[in-house]
Amino acid sequence: MKDRIVYVENNFLDPYQSFGLEYYLTAEKTFDDSTVLLFWRTEPTLMVGRYQNTYSEINTEYADQKGINIVRRMSGGGTIYTDLGGWQYSFITRTDKNEISFAEYIAPVIDALQTVGVKAEFNGRNDLVINGKKFSGTAQYMHNGFTVHHGSLLYDTDLEELVKSTTVDEYKILSKGIKSVRDRVTNISEHMEAPVSAEEFRELIVKHLIGDDGIRYNLTQYDMERIDYYAREKFDNWESKFGKNPPFNVVKTGHFEGGNIEMKLDVAKGRIVNADIYGDFFGNIDKSAIEKALKGCEYDSDSVRKRLKDNDFDSCIYRITAEDIADMF
Amino acid sequence: MKRKNIIVMPKLSPSMKDAVLVAWNKEINEEVRKGDVLFEVETDKVVCEIEATADGVLEQKFFDEGDHIRVGETVAELID
Repeated sequence: MKDRIVYVENNFLDPYQSFGLEYYLTAEKTFDDSTVLLFWRTEPTLMVGRYQNTYSEINTEYADQKGINIVRRMSGGGTIYTDLGGWQYSFITRTDKNEISFAEYIAPVIDALQTVGVKAEFNGRNDLVINGKKFSGTAQYMHNGFTVHHGSLLYDTDLEELVKSTTVDEYKILSKGIKSVRDRVTNISEHMEAPVSAEEFRELIVKHLIGDDGIRYNLTQYDMERIDYYAREKFDNWESKFGKNPPFNVVKTGHFEGGNIEMKLDVAKGRIVNADIYGDFFGNIDKSAIEKALKGCEYDSDSVRKRLKDNDFDSCIYRITAEDIADMF
Repeated sequence: MKRKNIIVMPKLSPSMKDAVLVAWNKEINEEVRKGDVLFEVETDKVVCEIEATADGVLEQKFFDEGDHIRVGETVAELID
Protein backbone atom coordinates (compact mmCIF):
# COMPACT_ATOMS: atom_id res chain seq x y z
CA MET A 1 0.00 0.00 0.00
CA LYS A 2 1.36 3.42 -0.96
CA ASP A 3 1.59 6.29 1.50
CA ARG A 4 -0.82 8.52 -0.39
CA ILE A 5 -4.47 7.68 -1.09
CA VAL A 6 -6.44 8.83 -4.12
CA TYR A 7 -10.14 8.55 -3.30
CA VAL A 8 -12.34 8.06 -6.35
CA GLU A 9 -15.90 8.78 -5.32
CA ASN A 10 -18.16 6.09 -6.70
CA ASN A 11 -21.91 6.51 -6.37
CA PHE A 12 -22.87 3.71 -8.77
CA LEU A 13 -25.42 1.36 -7.27
CA ASP A 14 -25.03 -0.97 -10.23
CA PRO A 15 -22.44 -3.64 -9.31
CA TYR A 16 -21.34 -4.08 -12.93
CA GLN A 17 -20.32 -0.42 -13.13
CA SER A 18 -18.42 -0.61 -9.85
CA PHE A 19 -16.50 -3.68 -10.98
CA GLY A 20 -16.01 -1.99 -14.35
CA LEU A 21 -14.52 1.00 -12.52
CA GLU A 22 -12.20 -1.22 -10.50
CA TYR A 23 -10.97 -2.91 -13.64
CA TYR A 24 -10.60 0.41 -15.51
CA LEU A 25 -8.33 1.61 -12.71
CA THR A 26 -5.97 -1.33 -13.34
CA ALA A 27 -6.15 -1.35 -17.12
CA GLU A 28 -6.31 2.27 -18.33
CA LYS A 29 -6.64 5.03 -15.78
CA THR A 30 -3.80 4.09 -13.49
CA PHE A 31 -2.30 5.87 -10.49
CA ASP A 32 1.19 4.45 -10.08
CA ASP A 33 2.39 6.39 -7.04
CA SER A 34 -0.75 6.27 -4.94
CA THR A 35 -3.19 3.66 -3.70
CA VAL A 36 -6.67 4.21 -5.08
CA LEU A 37 -9.57 3.87 -2.65
CA LEU A 38 -13.15 3.17 -3.66
CA PHE A 39 -16.04 2.95 -1.20
CA TRP A 40 -19.26 1.80 -2.79
CA ARG A 41 -22.50 -0.10 -2.39
CA THR A 42 -24.92 -1.97 -4.59
CA GLU A 43 -28.54 -2.79 -5.14
CA PRO A 44 -29.20 -6.38 -3.98
CA THR A 45 -26.43 -8.43 -5.60
CA LEU A 46 -24.81 -11.83 -5.34
CA MET A 47 -21.08 -11.73 -6.05
CA VAL A 48 -19.51 -15.08 -6.87
CA GLY A 49 -15.78 -15.77 -6.80
CA ARG A 50 -13.80 -15.81 -10.04
CA TYR A 51 -13.81 -19.59 -10.49
CA GLN A 52 -16.91 -20.60 -8.57
CA ASN A 53 -19.90 -22.42 -9.99
CA THR A 54 -22.79 -19.95 -9.95
CA TYR A 55 -25.35 -22.77 -9.82
CA SER A 56 -23.89 -24.40 -6.73
CA GLU A 57 -23.45 -21.09 -4.87
CA ILE A 58 -26.64 -19.21 -5.65
CA ASN A 59 -30.35 -19.93 -5.53
CA THR A 60 -30.76 -18.64 -9.10
CA GLU A 61 -34.53 -19.11 -9.08
CA TYR A 62 -34.85 -16.99 -5.97
CA ALA A 63 -32.45 -14.39 -7.37
CA ASP A 64 -34.53 -14.22 -10.59
CA GLN A 65 -37.80 -13.79 -8.70
CA LYS A 66 -36.38 -11.04 -6.51
CA GLY A 67 -34.44 -9.29 -9.26
CA ILE A 68 -31.13 -9.79 -7.46
CA ASN A 69 -28.10 -9.04 -9.63
CA ILE A 70 -25.51 -11.76 -10.20
CA VAL A 71 -21.92 -10.77 -10.87
CA ARG A 72 -18.65 -12.68 -11.07
CA ARG A 73 -15.77 -10.95 -9.33
CA MET A 74 -12.21 -10.98 -10.63
CA SER A 75 -10.99 -12.16 -7.21
CA GLY A 76 -11.08 -15.54 -5.53
CA GLY A 77 -13.02 -16.67 -2.49
CA GLY A 78 -16.69 -17.37 -1.88
CA THR A 79 -20.06 -15.88 -2.72
CA ILE A 80 -21.33 -12.84 -0.85
CA TYR A 81 -24.67 -11.03 -0.80
CA THR A 82 -24.67 -7.23 -0.82
CA ASP A 83 -27.41 -4.62 -0.68
CA LEU A 84 -27.84 -0.91 0.07
CA GLY A 85 -27.30 -1.67 3.76
CA GLY A 86 -23.71 -2.72 3.18
CA TRP A 87 -20.54 -1.16 1.82
CA GLN A 88 -17.70 -2.45 -0.32
CA TYR A 89 -14.25 -0.98 -0.34
CA SER A 90 -11.45 -1.44 -2.86
CA PHE A 91 -7.75 -0.60 -2.65
CA ILE A 92 -5.86 -0.62 -5.96
CA THR A 93 -2.07 -0.47 -5.82
CA ARG A 94 0.73 -0.78 -8.38
CA THR A 95 2.99 -3.61 -7.19
CA ASP A 96 6.37 -4.61 -8.55
CA LYS A 97 6.12 -8.26 -7.62
CA ASN A 98 3.48 -10.88 -7.06
CA GLU A 99 3.21 -10.94 -3.32
CA ILE A 100 0.04 -11.56 -1.37
CA SER A 101 -0.47 -9.34 1.62
CA PHE A 102 -3.81 -8.81 3.30
CA ALA A 103 -2.69 -7.27 6.56
CA GLU A 104 -1.57 -3.94 5.09
CA TYR A 105 -5.06 -3.35 3.66
CA ILE A 106 -7.07 -4.75 6.55
CA ALA A 107 -5.26 -2.87 9.34
CA PRO A 108 -6.46 0.60 8.22
CA VAL A 109 -10.04 -0.69 8.01
CA ILE A 110 -9.87 -2.04 11.57
CA ASP A 111 -8.45 1.34 12.68
CA ALA A 112 -11.20 3.24 10.87
CA LEU A 113 -13.88 1.09 12.52
CA GLN A 114 -12.40 1.93 15.91
CA THR A 115 -13.13 5.60 15.24
CA VAL A 116 -16.86 4.73 15.17
CA GLY A 117 -16.58 2.65 18.33
CA VAL A 118 -16.44 -0.81 16.77
CA LYS A 119 -13.82 -3.28 17.96
CA ALA A 120 -13.14 -5.57 15.04
CA GLU A 121 -10.63 -8.40 14.75
CA PHE A 122 -8.95 -10.32 11.97
CA ASN A 123 -9.90 -14.03 12.09
CA GLY A 124 -6.99 -15.45 10.12
CA ARG A 125 -9.11 -16.44 7.11
CA ASN A 126 -8.91 -12.89 5.85
CA ASP A 127 -12.30 -12.11 7.36
CA LEU A 128 -13.13 -9.50 9.97
CA VAL A 129 -15.21 -10.44 12.98
CA ILE A 130 -16.90 -8.74 15.93
CA ASN A 131 -17.24 -11.06 18.94
CA GLY A 132 -16.46 -13.98 16.66
CA LYS A 133 -19.18 -13.12 14.13
CA LYS A 134 -18.19 -12.26 10.58
CA PHE A 135 -19.17 -8.92 9.06
CA SER A 136 -16.51 -8.55 6.40
CA GLY A 137 -14.90 -10.79 3.82
CA THR A 138 -11.92 -9.81 1.73
CA ALA A 139 -10.33 -11.06 -1.48
CA GLN A 140 -7.75 -9.96 -4.02
CA TYR A 141 -6.74 -10.23 -7.62
CA MET A 142 -3.60 -9.24 -9.38
CA HIS A 143 -3.84 -7.87 -12.88
CA ASN A 144 -1.56 -5.86 -15.14
CA GLY A 145 0.91 -5.19 -12.32
CA PHE A 146 -1.78 -4.03 -9.88
CA THR A 147 -3.11 -5.62 -6.73
CA VAL A 148 -6.80 -5.09 -6.17
CA HIS A 149 -7.81 -5.77 -2.59
CA HIS A 150 -11.52 -5.51 -1.97
CA GLY A 151 -13.77 -6.28 0.94
CA SER A 152 -17.38 -6.16 2.03
CA LEU A 153 -18.71 -4.51 5.16
CA LEU A 154 -22.12 -5.58 6.42
CA TYR A 155 -23.51 -2.44 7.99
CA ASP A 156 -27.28 -2.86 7.94
CA THR A 157 -27.74 -5.63 5.39
CA ASP A 158 -30.89 -7.77 5.20
CA LEU A 159 -29.40 -10.98 6.62
CA GLU A 160 -32.52 -13.02 5.87
CA GLU A 161 -32.17 -12.22 2.16
CA LEU A 162 -28.50 -13.06 2.43
CA VAL A 163 -29.31 -16.58 3.66
CA LYS A 164 -32.22 -17.20 1.27
CA SER A 165 -30.35 -16.14 -1.84
CA THR A 166 -27.29 -18.23 -1.09
CA THR A 167 -29.11 -21.42 -0.07
CA VAL A 168 -29.18 -23.96 -2.84
CA ASP A 169 -30.46 -27.10 -1.14
CA GLU A 170 -32.57 -28.13 -4.06
CA TYR A 171 -29.54 -28.39 -6.30
CA LYS A 172 -27.74 -31.66 -5.80
CA ILE A 173 -24.71 -30.60 -7.68
CA LEU A 174 -21.49 -32.58 -7.66
CA SER A 175 -19.41 -29.54 -8.31
CA LYS A 176 -15.78 -29.45 -9.18
CA GLY A 177 -15.78 -25.82 -8.09
CA ILE A 178 -14.72 -24.70 -4.65
CA LYS A 179 -17.63 -24.28 -2.27
CA SER A 180 -17.63 -21.21 -0.12
CA VAL A 181 -17.83 -21.60 3.60
CA ARG A 182 -20.71 -19.79 5.21
CA ASP A 183 -19.84 -18.37 8.55
CA ARG A 184 -22.20 -16.82 11.03
CA VAL A 185 -22.55 -13.15 10.26
CA THR A 186 -23.49 -9.85 11.90
CA ASN A 187 -24.11 -6.21 10.97
CA ILE A 188 -21.72 -3.48 12.16
CA SER A 189 -24.56 -1.12 13.14
CA GLU A 190 -25.71 -3.61 15.80
CA HIS A 191 -22.42 -3.02 17.61
CA MET A 192 -22.48 0.78 17.62
CA GLU A 193 -23.75 2.63 20.64
CA ALA A 194 -25.25 5.32 18.43
CA PRO A 195 -25.73 3.95 14.90
CA VAL A 196 -25.58 6.53 12.10
CA SER A 197 -27.08 6.36 8.60
CA ALA A 198 -25.28 4.26 5.99
CA GLU A 199 -24.18 7.47 4.19
CA GLU A 200 -22.78 9.02 7.38
CA PHE A 201 -20.95 5.77 8.10
CA ARG A 202 -19.27 6.00 4.68
CA GLU A 203 -18.14 9.57 5.29
CA LEU A 204 -16.63 8.73 8.67
CA ILE A 205 -14.74 5.70 7.41
CA VAL A 206 -13.57 7.31 4.16
CA LYS A 207 -12.33 10.42 5.97
CA HIS A 208 -10.20 8.23 8.21
CA LEU A 209 -8.87 6.10 5.35
CA ILE A 210 -7.93 9.08 3.16
CA GLY A 211 -6.00 10.74 5.98
CA ASP A 212 -4.58 14.24 5.77
CA ASP A 213 -2.56 13.76 2.58
CA GLY A 214 -5.15 12.01 0.44
CA ILE A 215 -6.73 13.57 -2.61
CA ARG A 216 -10.12 13.17 -4.23
CA TYR A 217 -10.54 12.42 -7.92
CA ASN A 218 -13.84 13.03 -9.72
CA LEU A 219 -14.71 10.80 -12.67
CA THR A 220 -14.95 12.52 -16.05
CA GLN A 221 -17.41 11.88 -18.85
CA TYR A 222 -14.70 9.92 -20.68
CA ASP A 223 -14.06 7.82 -17.57
CA MET A 224 -17.78 7.03 -17.39
CA GLU A 225 -17.83 5.84 -21.00
CA ARG A 226 -14.89 3.51 -20.45
CA ILE A 227 -16.35 2.22 -17.16
CA ASP A 228 -19.62 1.40 -18.93
CA TYR A 229 -17.64 -0.40 -21.63
CA TYR A 230 -15.85 -2.63 -19.08
CA ALA A 231 -19.07 -3.15 -17.12
CA ARG A 232 -20.76 -4.56 -20.23
CA GLU A 233 -17.79 -6.43 -21.69
CA LYS A 234 -16.41 -8.06 -18.57
CA PHE A 235 -19.20 -8.29 -16.03
CA ASP A 236 -22.79 -7.77 -17.18
CA ASN A 237 -23.19 -10.65 -19.64
CA TRP A 238 -24.20 -14.32 -19.64
CA GLU A 239 -20.69 -15.45 -20.54
CA SER A 240 -19.22 -13.88 -17.41
CA LYS A 241 -21.99 -14.94 -15.03
CA PHE A 242 -22.51 -18.52 -16.22
CA GLY A 243 -20.14 -19.30 -19.10
CA LYS A 244 -17.11 -19.14 -16.82
CA ASN A 245 -18.43 -21.77 -14.41
CA PRO A 246 -16.09 -24.73 -13.89
CA PRO A 247 -17.39 -28.03 -15.34
CA PHE A 248 -19.90 -29.88 -13.17
CA ASN A 249 -22.31 -32.83 -13.21
CA VAL A 250 -25.88 -32.57 -12.04
CA VAL A 251 -28.87 -34.91 -11.75
CA LYS A 252 -32.33 -33.45 -12.33
CA THR A 253 -35.49 -35.37 -11.45
CA GLY A 254 -39.12 -34.60 -12.22
CA HIS A 255 -42.37 -36.38 -11.31
CA PHE A 256 -45.28 -35.73 -13.66
CA GLU A 257 -48.65 -37.18 -14.60
CA GLY A 258 -47.02 -38.92 -17.52
CA GLY A 259 -44.24 -40.49 -15.45
CA ASN A 260 -40.87 -39.79 -13.92
CA ILE A 261 -37.86 -38.31 -15.65
CA GLU A 262 -34.26 -38.31 -14.50
CA MET A 263 -31.62 -36.40 -16.40
CA LYS A 264 -27.89 -36.77 -15.81
CA LEU A 265 -26.17 -33.74 -17.23
CA ASP A 266 -22.57 -32.73 -17.79
CA VAL A 267 -22.23 -28.96 -17.95
CA ALA A 268 -19.18 -27.03 -19.10
CA LYS A 269 -18.82 -23.30 -19.71
CA GLY A 270 -22.48 -22.91 -18.75
CA ARG A 271 -23.73 -25.26 -21.50
CA ILE A 272 -24.98 -28.85 -21.46
CA VAL A 273 -22.30 -30.98 -23.11
CA ASN A 274 -23.88 -34.36 -22.43
CA ALA A 275 -27.34 -35.48 -21.35
CA ASP A 276 -28.54 -38.96 -20.36
CA ILE A 277 -32.27 -39.29 -19.83
CA TYR A 278 -33.99 -42.10 -17.90
CA GLY A 279 -37.57 -42.66 -16.79
CA ASP A 280 -40.84 -44.54 -17.13
CA PHE A 281 -42.50 -42.07 -19.50
CA PHE A 282 -44.11 -42.93 -22.83
CA GLY A 283 -43.80 -41.08 -26.07
CA ASN A 284 -43.57 -41.19 -29.80
CA ILE A 285 -39.94 -40.14 -29.86
CA ASP A 286 -36.69 -41.82 -28.92
CA LYS A 287 -35.10 -40.34 -25.79
CA SER A 288 -31.78 -40.04 -27.64
CA ALA A 289 -33.36 -37.36 -29.87
CA ILE A 290 -34.06 -35.24 -26.79
CA GLU A 291 -30.58 -35.91 -25.42
CA LYS A 292 -29.12 -34.77 -28.73
CA ALA A 293 -31.27 -31.64 -28.80
CA LEU A 294 -30.13 -30.61 -25.33
CA LYS A 295 -26.45 -30.78 -26.23
CA GLY A 296 -24.99 -27.30 -26.49
CA CYS A 297 -28.03 -25.72 -24.86
CA GLU A 298 -27.42 -23.09 -22.19
CA TYR A 299 -28.03 -24.58 -18.75
CA ASP A 300 -31.12 -22.65 -17.71
CA SER A 301 -34.87 -23.04 -17.76
CA ASP A 302 -35.68 -20.54 -20.53
CA SER A 303 -33.06 -21.91 -22.90
CA VAL A 304 -34.14 -25.53 -22.35
CA ARG A 305 -37.80 -24.60 -22.90
CA LYS A 306 -36.97 -22.81 -26.15
CA ARG A 307 -34.70 -25.63 -27.35
CA LEU A 308 -37.39 -28.30 -26.76
CA LYS A 309 -40.14 -26.24 -28.38
CA ASP A 310 -37.97 -25.34 -31.38
CA ASN A 311 -37.39 -29.06 -31.90
CA ASP A 312 -41.14 -29.84 -31.66
CA PHE A 313 -40.73 -31.90 -28.50
CA ASP A 314 -43.58 -30.14 -26.74
CA SER A 315 -46.18 -32.86 -27.19
CA CYS A 316 -44.19 -35.95 -28.02
CA ILE A 317 -44.09 -37.33 -24.48
CA TYR A 318 -47.37 -38.46 -22.98
CA ARG A 319 -48.53 -35.88 -20.41
CA ILE A 320 -45.11 -34.26 -20.04
CA THR A 321 -44.63 -30.92 -21.77
CA ALA A 322 -41.54 -28.89 -22.65
CA GLU A 323 -42.68 -26.56 -19.88
CA ASP A 324 -42.54 -29.41 -17.35
CA ILE A 325 -39.03 -30.36 -18.36
CA ALA A 326 -37.86 -26.73 -18.37
CA ASP A 327 -39.23 -26.32 -14.85
CA MET A 328 -36.80 -29.03 -13.69
CA PHE A 329 -33.98 -26.52 -14.27
CA MET B 1 20.84 -25.44 -29.60
CA LYS B 2 17.41 -25.20 -28.01
CA ARG B 3 17.23 -23.97 -24.47
CA LYS B 4 14.63 -25.14 -21.97
CA ASN B 5 13.07 -22.72 -19.49
CA ILE B 6 10.89 -24.07 -16.76
CA ILE B 7 8.16 -22.12 -14.99
CA VAL B 8 7.55 -23.13 -11.39
CA MET B 9 4.75 -22.35 -8.96
CA PRO B 10 5.94 -19.23 -7.16
CA LYS B 11 5.62 -18.67 -3.43
CA LEU B 12 3.28 -15.70 -3.21
CA SER B 13 3.19 -15.33 0.56
CA PRO B 14 5.22 -16.67 3.50
CA SER B 15 2.45 -19.08 4.48
CA MET B 16 1.58 -20.31 0.98
CA LYS B 17 2.10 -24.04 0.46
CA ASP B 18 0.12 -24.65 -2.73
CA ALA B 19 -2.36 -23.10 -5.13
CA VAL B 20 -5.04 -24.23 -7.58
CA LEU B 21 -4.30 -23.72 -11.24
CA VAL B 22 -7.53 -22.10 -12.37
CA ALA B 23 -6.82 -21.11 -15.98
CA TRP B 24 -4.30 -21.67 -18.73
CA ASN B 25 -3.95 -18.57 -20.91
CA LYS B 26 -1.64 -20.14 -23.52
CA GLU B 27 -1.87 -23.23 -25.71
CA ILE B 28 0.80 -25.86 -26.40
CA ASN B 29 3.11 -24.70 -29.24
CA GLU B 30 2.01 -21.10 -28.76
CA GLU B 31 4.72 -18.46 -28.71
CA VAL B 32 5.15 -16.81 -25.34
CA ARG B 33 6.97 -13.54 -24.56
CA LYS B 34 8.52 -12.78 -21.22
CA GLY B 35 5.84 -11.02 -19.17
CA ASP B 36 2.87 -12.66 -20.94
CA VAL B 37 0.31 -14.14 -18.57
CA LEU B 38 0.89 -17.90 -18.86
CA PHE B 39 -1.62 -19.17 -16.31
CA GLU B 40 -3.69 -18.05 -13.33
CA VAL B 41 -3.72 -19.52 -9.85
CA GLU B 42 -5.98 -19.10 -6.85
CA THR B 43 -4.84 -19.36 -3.25
CA ASP B 44 -6.29 -17.91 -0.07
CA LYS B 45 -9.00 -15.92 -1.93
CA VAL B 46 -6.44 -14.37 -4.27
CA VAL B 47 -6.44 -14.83 -8.02
CA CYS B 48 -3.00 -14.15 -9.39
CA GLU B 49 -1.76 -13.96 -12.96
CA ILE B 50 1.55 -15.79 -13.39
CA GLU B 51 3.74 -14.36 -16.09
CA ALA B 52 6.34 -16.16 -18.21
CA THR B 53 9.82 -15.45 -16.90
CA ALA B 54 11.43 -16.03 -20.33
CA ASP B 55 10.59 -16.00 -24.04
CA GLY B 56 9.86 -19.26 -25.81
CA VAL B 57 7.31 -21.68 -27.19
CA LEU B 58 5.07 -23.47 -24.71
CA GLU B 59 6.30 -27.06 -24.98
CA GLN B 60 4.61 -28.77 -22.07
CA LYS B 61 1.93 -28.21 -19.45
CA PHE B 62 2.47 -30.41 -16.40
CA PHE B 63 -0.89 -29.69 -14.79
CA ASP B 64 -4.54 -29.24 -15.77
CA GLU B 65 -7.01 -26.59 -14.68
CA GLY B 66 -8.33 -27.54 -11.24
CA ASP B 67 -5.09 -29.21 -10.09
CA HIS B 68 -3.47 -28.31 -6.78
CA ILE B 69 0.21 -27.48 -7.25
CA ARG B 70 2.81 -27.19 -4.50
CA VAL B 71 5.15 -24.22 -4.33
CA GLY B 72 8.27 -24.91 -6.41
CA GLU B 73 6.74 -27.61 -8.63
CA THR B 74 7.31 -27.26 -12.36
CA VAL B 75 4.13 -26.06 -14.06
CA ALA B 76 5.28 -25.46 -17.64
CA GLU B 77 8.24 -25.84 -19.93
CA LEU B 78 9.19 -23.33 -22.61
CA ILE B 79 11.63 -24.01 -25.46
CA ASP B 80 13.59 -21.00 -26.66
